[in-house]
Amino acid sequence: MVDPTQAGMVAVGAGLAVGLAGIGAGLGEQAIGAAAVGAMAEDEKFFGKGLLMTVIPESIVIFGLVVALILLFVF
Amino acid sequence: MGASDGAKYAYIVARVRAMKGKLIPKDMYPKFLNMEIPEITRFIGESEYKKDVDELGKKYRGTDLFEHALNQNLALTYRKLIEVSQNEANFLITEYLRSFDIWNIKTILRGKISGASEEEILEDVVSAGQLRYRDLTELVKIGTVEGIIGALSGTPYYPALEGYKGDLAEIENALDKRYYAKRIEAATKTGNRLFLKFLRTEIDLKNLKMLFRMKRAGMEREDTLKNLIPGGMELKESDLGRLASMSFSEFVRALEEYSYWKAISDISGELTSLIHIETRLDKYGLMYASQISYYYPLSILPVLDYIVSKKIEVDNLRIIVRGKETKLPEDVIKAHLVM
Repeated sequence: MVDPTQAGMVAVGAGLAVGLAGIGAGLGEQAIGAAAVGAMAEDEKFFGKGLLMTVIPESIVIFGLVVALILLFVF
Repeated sequence: MGASDGAKYAYIVARVRAMKGKLIPKDMYPKFLNMEIPEITRFIGESEYKKDVDELGKKYRGTDLFEHALNQNLALTYRKLIEVSQNEANFLITEYLRSFDIWNIKTILRGKISGASEEEILEDVVSAGQLRYRDLTELVKIGTVEGIIGALSGTPYYPALEGYKGDLAEIENALDKRYYAKRIEAATKTGNRLFLKFLRTEIDLKNLKMLFRMKRAGMEREDTLKNLIPGGMELKESDLGRLASMSFSEFVRALEEYSYWKAISDISGELTSLIHIETRLDKYGLMYASQISYYYPLSILPVLDYIVSKKIEVDNLRIIVRGKETKLPEDVIKAHLVM
């Protein structure tokens, strides 16, 4: 039986893992998104490349999500 | 450089990089030399200049159409840069493009003094600065030089013009000096060291061109110094004073100490041709802008690189068409091209 306080801390940890990873990805995407929109404004052909580049920092959030899931279901 | 510093230039830099990709590739210029004027006009009419050629096609024909379309496109492109940029980038681009105000004021005054028609003067103005085409048209309509200077009394250029006593070269110099002094002041105010570095290198190249011209004309030290712009990167005031007092051959030897020497070293044996020297120095300016824009990709430098590249593209096209119109030999036209 897990101590309720300990369970609460695990939940907070899981939340922080996803939340902080999200903030980090957001900061990273700030410049990439701006650049992608700038390039697309000049040439629509940059849509595919721009989209791809913009979502690359999203992988960090997936890592955060994985850590959160491990915390909640394995730990 | 923090994330937000990068982000504030990311949009405009990506945009100008995409715009630079649409410039005419330099391997096209030799091909233009083998084409006739109508062919070149057709090519240009199908390129980024299409809209301008179509729009002005009803009003102008031949090389006049070409000239007006190039100028209009240049002005609209630069104006677009001002419109799509924000904050510091917007401020610096606006300040930098004030050079076109100087260019236009000089063109109008020169045109008036040489008795050119209103149409001829308007053919050469580029309304990329703060003075709009409408303002320039109004200025051109004024009959006298004094009247034009009076009409500019509310602008920041007036202090350089108000001392006009019949010597155009003097106020042209004063305009240039004021332009660079104000831009250095603006760059210092924003704390943007890269802009300042670019500007100061530009001053050096301008001073070098001026020094070559004046050395060739055999001007005295004092007269030479009056025409030089202070604030250069490598050519400080003491260097300018030293170079100004040298003879032409000593001056050429002394240049070996500066990094600009590599721009002209390959023609060091034939430094008598001003065309070759000025073309090399322009090429150096173009290469320099391109190189440092890659060193600092998220800064004002890629935008300045684009501004320089676009201006050189328009100048090259104009040289080719005007050269062909006056039936200049191909090698003479080629010597004038910056590529």
